[in-house]
Amino acid sequence: MIVCRSAAELEKMRAAGRLVADVLTELAGLVAPGVTTAALDAVAEERIRAAGAIPAFKGYHGYPATICASINEEVIHGIPSGRRILNEGDIVSIDVGASLDGYYGDHAVTLAVGLVSEQAATLLRVTEESLYKAIERVRVGGRISDIGHAVQQHVEAYGFSVVREFVGHGIGQRMHEEPQVPNYGEPGRGPRLAEGMVLAIEPMVNAGKPAVKVLGDGWTAVTRDGSLSAHFEHTVAVTADGPWILTAREVPVGARR
Amino acid sequence: MPERSRRAAGVVTETLPSAMYRVRLDEGPLVLAHIADRIDRNFVRLLVGDRVRVELSPVDVGRGRIVEKL
Repeated sequence: MIVCRSAAELEKMRAAGRLVADVLTELAGLVAPGVTTAALDAVAEERIRAAGAIPAFKGYHGYPATICASINEEVIHGIPSGRRILNEGDIVSIDVGASLDGYYGDHAVTLAVGLVSEQAATLLRVTEESLYKAIERVRVGGRISDIGHAVQQHVEAYGFSVVREFVGHGIGQRMHEEPQVPNYGEPGRGPRLAEGMVLAIEPMVNAGKPAVKVLGDGWTAVTRDGSLSAHFEHTVAVTADGPWILTAREVPVGARR
Repeated sequence: MPERSRRAAGVVTETLPSAMYRVRLDEGPLVLAHIADRIDRNFVRLLVGDRVRVELSPVDVGRGRIVEKL
């Protein structure tokens, strides 16, 4: 069942969303060559707990950390580690989720570490654009698959591909709720969007082929062909006035260069 | 944090009576799948070796529903 949230609930979800956006803004400022992903994770956990919130990922099906930090060919669910050091030219996807006052916010960006290759820069730009194109399709009466269709259209035009094995999701009082939100497909299918629905929309885009595999740690998903992969995510509410990005920030960060 | 999709691609390895099929998923497991009404109505014939997309049951991990011929 897809839950529609009241205006008061959406305000609480905005508070959770603003928190994860603020945390991610701070992490983005720390990303530099030589920094370990565990260092980023520690900052995120401290900030989330200081705000009276709870890291959403920690303990989720046994996930051991507050953030996911996925470098280069890692698509998603990279586990932070003191031995994973960011290098000049890497791209790193950072995914943060927290629950504040019982409601969840979920947000991710992929960042360039120093100067990156032209292909990497294009991948980041196109993936982020595809997220905003998807968000434009969020309106009362639209369909779930309109969102994925917008992503697929945009990224495939650049020769990139959409990951199928993982999808966006409804979000609210749990991190993963109905419905699933794939990033591909024909438009005009799936459940209709209604006022108050909240979706985590998250295109995962590979520079090469779409196939991914999960490593032996049970979490880290990497591209099968070793190509670069990017991931951007916003938590978005469906309102009568159109999409409301609950994880929006005052100052945009991201991979635009 | 993305959720694992309940849809997966695979190859038909065996056709069984009453529109049931055995499908080897690309991820590894073998599942028993029936054909979705909406594609059965179009008289889509599935043969061994066809690539299909399967919607997996959230309840029974070994079962699914074929929703698309790829």
